[in-house]
Amino acid sequence: MIRVEKAAFRYRDDWVFRNVGFELAKGQTAAILGPNGRGKTTLLKSIVGLLPLATGTAETYGRIGYVAQKNDLAFSYRVLDIVVMGRAAHVGMFRTPGLKDYRIARETLERLGISGFAERIYTQLSGGERQLVMIARALASECEILILDEPTSALDFSNQALILEVLGRISKADGLTVLMTTHVPQHAQQLADMVLLMKGAEDQDWGFAADMLTEEKLEALYGVPVKSFEVEHQGKTASTLVPLFVLRPRPSPNLP
Amino acid sequence: MSIANKTTAPARLWRFGLWGILVVLLGLSILVSLGIGRFGVPIDHVFAILLGNVFPIELTWKPVEERVVELIRMPRILIAALAGAGLAVAGSALQGVFRNPLVGPQIIGVSSGAAFGGAFAILVSESQVLLIGAAFGFGMLAMLVVYTISRQQGRASILMLVLAGIVTSAFFSALVSITKFVADPDDKLPAIVFWLMGSFASSSYEKVLLIGIPVMLGSLVVYLMRFQINVLSLGDEEAQSLGLKVERTRWIVLVAVALISAAVVSAAGIVGWVGLVIPHFARMLTGPDHKALIPAAALIGAIYLIHVDNVARASIAAEIPVGIITALLGAPVFAYLLRRAANKGWSSE
Amino acid sequence: MRLLALLATFFVTANSAFADAITITDQRGRKITLDGDVKRVVTIPIPAASMFIAVDGSTDRLVGMHQLSKTAIKGRILERFYPDALTIPSNITGKGFSFVPNVEELLVLEPDLVFQWGHLNDDIIEPLVNAGLEVALIRIGKEEFTRKWLTMMGAMTGKADKAQAMIDWRDDVMAEVRAATADIAEDDRPRTLYFMNYLSKLRVAGGKSYNNFYIDLAGGKNVAAELGMFVDVGVEQIIAWDPEVILLNGFEAKLSPQDVYDNELLADLSAVKNRRVYKMPLGGYRWDPPNQESPLTWLWLSMILHPDKIDWDMAERISRNYQFIYGQDVTDDDVANILRVDMNADAANYDIFGAN
Repeated sequence: MIRVEKAAFRYRDDWVFRNVGFELAKGQTAAILGPNGRGKTTLLKSIVGLLPLATGTAETYGRIGYVAQKNDLAFSYRVLDIVVMGRAAHVGMFRTPGLKDYRIARETLERLGISGFAERIYTQLSGGERQLVMIARALASECEILILDEPTSALDFSNQALILEVLGRISKADGLTVLMTTHVPQHAQQLADMVLLMKGAEDQDWGFAADMLTEEKLEALYGVPVKSFEVEHQGKTASTLVPLFVLRPRPSPNLP
Repeated sequence: MSIANKTTAPARLWRFGLWGILVVLLGLSILVSLGIGRFGVPIDHVFAILLGNVFPIELTWKPVEERVVELIRMPRILIAALAGAGLAVAGSALQGVFRNPLVGPQIIGVSSGAAFGGAFAILVSESQVLLIGAAFGFGMLAMLVVYTISRQQGRASILMLVLAGIVTSAFFSALVSITKFVADPDDKLPAIVFWLMGSFASSSYEKVLLIGIPVMLGSLVVYLMRFQINVLSLGDEEAQSLGLKVERTRWIVLVAVALISAAVVSAAGIVGWVGLVIPHFARMLTGPDHKALIPAAALIGAIYLIHVDNVARASIAAEIPVGIITALLGAPVFAYLLRRAANKGWSSE
Repeated sequence: MRLLALLATFFVTANSAFADAITITDQRGRKITLDGDVKRVVTIPIPAASMFIAVDGSTDRLVGMHQLSKTAIKGRILERFYPDALTIPSNITGKGFSFVPNVEELLVLEPDLVFQWGHLNDDIIEPLVNAGLEVALIRIGKEEFTRKWLTMMGAMTGKADKAQAMIDWRDDVMAEVRAATADIAEDDRPRTLYFMNYLSKLRVAGGKSYNNFYIDLAGGKNVAAELGMFVDVGVEQIIAWDPEVILLNGFEAKLSPQDVYDNELLADLSAVKNRRVYKMPLGGYRWDPPNQESPLTWLWLSMILHPDKIDWDMAERISRNYQFIYGQDVTDDDVANILRVDMNADAANYDIFGAN
């Protein structure tokens, strides 16, 4: 589980966020939404322990697996080697991964449906494939908490769907506590139990997904009208939130 | 176009073949080099001399030939091999730890720090052990300075690293000049100047041990840390988030690198461009996984420097400082690698 | 005849009274103009100091010398001849074999003229010229160059006659030695090697060096003749050359033939097996580089190289010529010191020097 109390982070003289607090119970998934630059990544990194908070605390109970937003690498490792690096916490200093570590790495690849990638070179994979490998690496560490920074933002729709499906399945199967940032409300709708809206440095809103993901709150967050629709497709119904870009005036070619 | 892209069972076979080839090449290089030198020794005599150490065979060679092969050439070849292997391993480790394929011992200041340590040791004593010790101590110090200067928010940016390396090297060079200035011109000064020039000329079995032990120790540590270096090469944040103790791990590797560099500098002065360039060739053969890269680099580095030293000691009557040859060969190769890196980004070798 | 000589002297002195200016051309073709004899000279090239003292017959005009010129005087025979020489300032260059001038120290000495090497790079010359000093450049390597040093020094000190006499002596001895060695067959010329450095590294004299000239003159064959002036070589190359005679420099004070005999790696050399390793003598100056006593070097070396064929009376030669050059007497002990019997005593054929 994750508990954050009165967390604040400053960069030079500016407060990136202040007075952030929430508690995410074990096994639950939370999504953090907010426009770019409001500190979502910073908050995530401080929870992971990569950045220091100015004040307040962020406590985590259990090993963390972290999937960063950028996923390029300096060297062209094999996928299996990358996933097995996720075992670093279990491998002692001066030691190398053993049979068990490789087995767990391969099993993780299989659970994500990408066991065929094991021998491929990471740098030759597509964006979505790389993201899956990174998730596999985080999972290979046998973490109890999974923290992901915008896991779908660079992906096309089919890859987005794939990641969402995998995340939903694995987190439920393993009882993971998941914290992710996203700027797509539908993704939050699909996965999150809880939602944190980061509206401004002093202004955050935390609550159940259903309560946070409303037309009013989202419009206030993004400054774009958002409408909730009931949709029906092949016998299934769901509600979905759609930002109404179409209603905005089209930019004129004769701009001053 | 990397051979390591092969993804099937042949990859395993290739690996095994690769080690075999490299080890055989090293053995051959040593044997062939024992037959090379200004004083001609027929190759069959070379074999006979070597075998004569193990089996009691008839004396077909002259005592002077035995002396040349065993007392002059063999220790020198062994030291060249150890130095080449050590520098290549050090370079590989540095490139992994700083996640950049364009660094080497001469860039991060450890060579010039070690050079000052050694010059200072020659100034104050005759002890070879002190020479290595001082070279190591000041090599570490120089590396610490470079690392500290170049850190930005916990990461060592490569530009800052290079600049800090230039500044630190300049500083230690100045210290070397001061050392030369106060040295007694009859005795210590020529010894210091000669040592700094970089040469394997004064090799002996004593030196083989003196150099061999630190180089092998340091290389062993680096090899044991091969997985950790892999993880470090992902980046500090990534490595930390995966549970690696980044600072501690990095420093263990850097200490090992300093040990190796100090030993090589003590034996042969500053020999550049080996630690920078050899890892690239090794990486082309094995890929970036340090498990294969480090031994491959060691073997290739050893073979390379043996042959470079053959040229240094035997091509003309005069002794050519080995650092000149490695620079002549290494700098153009490095320039080419720089261009390739600039064009392609560093994500593929 | 005497009348003519008297008239000549009259004209010469009359001329001196009217035209004091002296013009000298140095060995890089530079013209140096002096108002009369020099009064204050500094010598940077190491052999130049004692040569200048020898030509001038005194230390009065020498106001600065190289550190390594002084080390050849201290404790040796020139100190006895000219005790004042040790008081002459010698901190005028960088340490060791550096010829980089310390210009401020030099300016303090207010020299009329500074001698400097002309065959190295110009970085050691420009600072002197820029400081407004009068610089005479000299070269090394050929015997003719050395004679020019004597001529220049003679001209600037009013001792042209002495200088000429020293040159004539060189001619005479060269002819003598040449006559003795000219007919020696190529195969009978021993393979000879001179070590410019031995202790810190192995550096030998190649074909362009002055050492090469006198090895050749004295009937030897420089094994390193293919190389330049002074070149670093490896141990194996020395073994490949297998010199029969080894000459050790006079600069490394602690260096003695024993260091070569003790070197396991060189045990197979003919020179070591036959104990023909010799420390170069040191008289008014080290005998290895060109100097005012070079003819004695040639005599000595020819005896070393061909003990069966050549026999000069070294003690007599030294004694007579020291009287000529320095106006001083020498004892048997002096001769032994000069010829470094202390280090060369058990070298082959050295008893011929002791016996004299």
